[in-house]
Amino acid sequence: MAPTFYHQQVLKIKGNVFPNDDLCRQVMQAKDFMDKHFADKIALKDISCSACYSSFHFLRLFKLMYGKTPHQYLTDVRIEKAKEFLKTDLPVSVICFSVGFESIGSFKMLFRRNTGYTPHAYRQHSLRKNVTASSLKYLPFFFSLKKSNFQDGK
Amino acid sequence: MKIKLTSVIVTDQEKALKFYTEVLGFVKKTEIPMGEHKWLTVVSPEEQSGVELVLEPMGFQPARVYQKALYDAGIPLTAFAVDDIQKEYDRLIGCGVAFSIKPTNMGAVTLAVFDDTCGNNIQIFQV
Repeated sequence: MAPTFYHQQVLKIKGNVFPNDDLCRQVMQAKDFMDKHFADKIALKDISCSACYSSFHFLRLFKLMYGKTPHQYLTDVRIEKAKEFLKTDLPVSVICFSVGFESIGSFKMLFRRNTGYTPHAYRQHSLRKNVTASSLKYLPFFFSLKKSNFQDGK
Repeated sequence: MKIKLTSVIVTDQEKALKFYTEVLGFVKKTEIPMGEHKWLTVVSPEEQSGVELVLEPMGFQPARVYQKALYDAGIPLTAFAVDDIQKEYDRLIGCGVAFSIKPTNMGAVTLAVFDDTCGNNIQIFQV
């Protein structure tokens, strides 16, 4: 069967942008490395080594594949982990270091830039959402629907 | 604002429900009769409170033209994420599903495209 128009486009883009599956696989391994070791002190050199690349070459290919630099990606992973920890009682300073940030100032600044909230405000916000959601469990279905109109309002 | 619904236009709602549940493995969420057609949605069994996929009846002639043009060009109407594309590809092939693109690596993504038997190409992808 002749390839469809879409299949032709896929093959064309693959040939032009991602011609080497092995190289792509190595960059994906580097991403996995960051997913696993986000809490450690990681330098670009460590990540590119895990992908057997020069730092410059690795940076370019990573951005091409994921649309962000390895540093931005690592920051995003750390912020996501911090968001999970902020739902617990752990102090913000402990969370900051346990997800791999080295200073509370930069953690707060990056967290705010990424989520629109300070870590403290994010914790309060998710706490409020949980309290409202759990109290709604005890309301009849119809009332909880009506109530959600208020709950969603900021 | 939240994204709660998305849709695929299907030529036959009953046939589509069968394919999307029995072959793809989605779960019927809502079925409300509405005259000739019905409001029919399915969800992923892994995210039953997540985005609902409306199996939209083909009731508007220009939509038929649009659907056919996409289908003939092999362009997917929508895409679903899978954890293991090779495994899913093998499973669907075993169910008799026809693929126009076998699992193909595209950088950080692997994609494949199949025929949903209701007039659409659907893409599955693994990141």
